[in-house]
Amino acid sequence: MNRSTAPSGLTRAALMRRAAAAAGAAAGGAAVLAVAAAPGESKPSAAQDKKILAAALVLEDLQAAFYARALRDAGLSGEQREFARTVGDHERAHAAFIRKALGADAKPPPKFDFGETTADAHSFATAAQQLEDVGLAVLNGQGPNLTPATLAAAAKIVSVEARHASWIRDISGAVPAPAAVDVGLSVKEGLARVRAMGIVIS
Amino acid sequence: MSEKQPVLLADVDADGALTEALGRMHGSTRAEALRTAALGGAALLGAAAGAPAAFAAGGHRQDVAILSFALLLEELQAVFYTEVERNKVLHGGLKRQATIVGAHERAHVRALRVALGKKAPKRPHFDFGAATEGPAAFRRTAVAFEDLAVAAYKGQAPRISSRAYLASALSIHSVEARHAAWIRRLAGRQPVQGPFDEPLSGHEVATIVAKTRFVMQMQTKGKPRFTG
Repeated sequence: MNRSTAPSGLTRAALMRRAAAAAGAAAGGAAVLAVAAAPGESKPSAAQDKKILAAALVLEDLQAAFYARALRDAGLSGEQREFARTVGDHERAHAAFIRKALGADAKPPPKFDFGETTADAHSFATAAQQLEDVGLAVLNGQGPNLTPATLAAAAKIVSVEARHASWIRDISGAVPAPAAVDVGLSVKEGLARVRAMGIVIS
Repeated sequence: MSEKQPVLLADVDADGALTEALGRMHGSTRAEALRTAALGGAALLGAAAGAPAAFAAGGHRQDVAILSFALLLEELQAVFYTEVERNKVLHGGLKRQATIVGAHERAHVRALRVALGKKAPKRPHFDFGAATEGPAAFRRTAVAFEDLAVAAYKGQAPRISSRAYLASALSIHSVEARHAAWIRRLAGRQPVQGPFDEPLSGHEVATIVAKTRFVMQMQTKGKPRFTG
């Protein structure tokens, strides 16, 4: 499937400008369509799918380990606890799903140091919101780089991550959907945000 | 569009949100009939949205058909939220949700209209009946709409050829999922139904939307309506 062809009569740049202008005008400038975040230009291939899935697996393993640790250490109760338990199950299911897709190429989970992010309920809520927002942003950013079959599989996960993000935001009293569009991130940007939270992946 | 396996509404409406919403529109007997009715009929919405044939054509024509279809779903939602705001029947958390989500849906409409340019289809007329006249009906319908939008974008995304269009569709898809979780929690439902959200085909979505009878121009035998 060819994804690089500009629609007839419009250059890609012009299209992006128009789309970005519309979204910006519509949402008060806060939201710009993800096209403005310029997903990587590499053409989808099976080899590239594996690279992206490997990166997604690290993020799913990280989330699964984060919720397991938080359930043990963060002193969660009520809906926060229900959230951590439910979402932790989902992240484990996602990791298993991606491992199966990668087959022999799947790596075991890295070691994670969650620092202070699981020290108490408040730190947990802040970190969970950031991790869910980053997880879905990376999947959104990489979506256009996937082959259609792998994109279809990834899309089943990304909206669940978005539901998680919305849920924890609502629990915390933040706006569940802060913008009209969720702008994509590169894997590199996503991992940098995780590190900025004080989480170490080794 | 080729004939597909019949799909039961019950298959795609895991916790009955859509059936409940339909029940409010048409009475419980009709909802019960819909629950067991095979959704294999004419894809009215697809036809109105532009070109069922183009759905299978690939490339730019297919992209235009997909975006036109997405535009219709966004307009359906945008008008729904705008109308419920005008009716001033919501308060507190629901009012806040409708205000913010309504602005998002209107932003999606504008972005899709700009992307489609002259190829954008005209906006149809909508009639939401009681769905915008009270908080309970609004809540049920909003849950159904948001879950439906998530499944619709998910079904179409892998079929989009243009990377720019695809990136836009994905950036909207996850926001619809945020909306869905938000309204589900407000409605006392689980924000997330399971670890994986399943897609719906364009045919399935079109059939479900047609059965709501919210879209007036989509009906082949609908009553004529005074539109001012």
